[in-house]
Amino acid sequence: MRCRRAQQMMTTAVDGELEPRRRRALDAHVAACESCRRELAATERMLSVLEALPMEAVVAEGLEQATLRRVRLAAAEEEERARAKWWRAWLPVPAVALATAAVAVLAFGVLRYSTGVSGPSGVSQSPGSHQDRVARAPAAASTPSPTARAEAPKAVDRPNEPPSELTAAPDKFMNLHILRNLEKLEHFEAIQTTTLDDEPATPGGDAQPSNG
Amino acid sequence: MAPASVSEMKRPPGDPAMSADEAVPADAMPAGAAADPDVALMLRVQGGDETAFQELFRTFSPRVLQYARRFVGSDAQAEEVTQDVFVQVFRFRHRYRPQSRLSTWVFTIATNLCLNELRRPERRLRVDIWDRRRDTEERREGPQLADPNAWTPEEGAATRELARQLEAAVTALPPKQRAALLLSRVDGLAYRDVADALGCTEGAVKALLFRATQSLKKTLREHL
Repeated sequence: MRCRRAQQMMTTAVDGELEPRRRRALDAHVAACESCRRELAATERMLSVLEALPMEAVVAEGLEQATLRRVRLAAAEEEERARAKWWRAWLPVPAVALATAAVAVLAFGVLRYSTGVSGPSGVSQSPGSHQDRVARAPAAASTPSPTARAEAPKAVDRPNEPPSELTAAPDKFMNLHILRNLEKLEHFEAIQTTTLDDEPATPGGDAQPSNG
Repeated sequence: MAPASVSEMKRPPGDPAMSADEAVPADAMPAGAAADPDVALMLRVQGGDETAFQELFRTFSPRVLQYARRFVGSDAQAEEVTQDVFVQVFRFRHRYRPQSRLSTWVFTIATNLCLNELRRPERRLRVDIWDRRRDTEERREGPQLADPNAWTPEEGAATRELARQLEAAVTALPPKQRAALLLSRVDGLAYRDVADALGCTEGAVKALLFRATQSLKKTLREHL
């Protein structure tokens, strides 16, 4: 063993952490090497003094109180976080319930509206209803015949059988959103003569169709 | 002082990767751990026993404070570090695993906080009045030794001088060497525990200790 290697092992040996085989090798080297013997003695003395130094300090009362105060604060923060976590965990439940209720109300409203419009109730029979107008529109645009007008209410009575006008020109009777609200439009008469595919054939030329 | 973040802290031994909310299952405790009073104390802290934490503070704070004093070289900063250590111990109490010694875990936290303290830039600007205040008996005569009867009066005087020089020389060591040296003297921590605390291998600990003792011997040559 060389002196350098022996010196590398000295602290580990003094601390009792050297493997027995290496310890034997070190002892053998130190027995034969005066300078390493002195070095080992110096290491032992230094480490023994280091270990003799007090390992404990006197802790002031104030330090303990200050630490415990901070720990209590940390505990309170922890509790608060735990409470917030609980709320976060339960928050989705009312949100989902609200969303479900909103969807249900919406669905109910849509259902009522659609059945009220297309059903045989008095709503569709009113003279100003849009279906009537839509049914009348092509008749007015092409050949106004009294039979066609008379057939329109029949179509309402039997929704499974579309009127002949609708069969002949279905694109004119598309159940578009815009058509349901035609009566609200300012230039209704102009729009009546408009089809989706064509440019508006406005009588006055200044009325533009709404794109709904 | 700002406490070290969890990510910045080296992980204490005993599977610290798990979340703070996980509790230690009783059957996961090794047989010897239940008999260790420190572990039993920590388990009480984990169980929410408030008096247990105070007990834990009184058990460990004298050693932690002394360790921090030697590490950061200032009494005021050492007290701040000690406070932070115990706040961290409380905050991360659920991460402690009884498989490792409690002192290893506590001193791992202490080491990380001391290293953080040494890295703080404002530290260089701070004027520490503690050093002037303590420039009294202890500074003149050297620190009190744990067992003054171990030396004769003549040896005692020389040893006290050596101890005083040694204290100063330890504070001048590079932080990692200082940590390894102090940890290996504290509470009889084995090299394996020191390696755990520093997040390195036992071989690295041996190398750090070799360099530290070589440096100290060089500084204190005339006293040895």
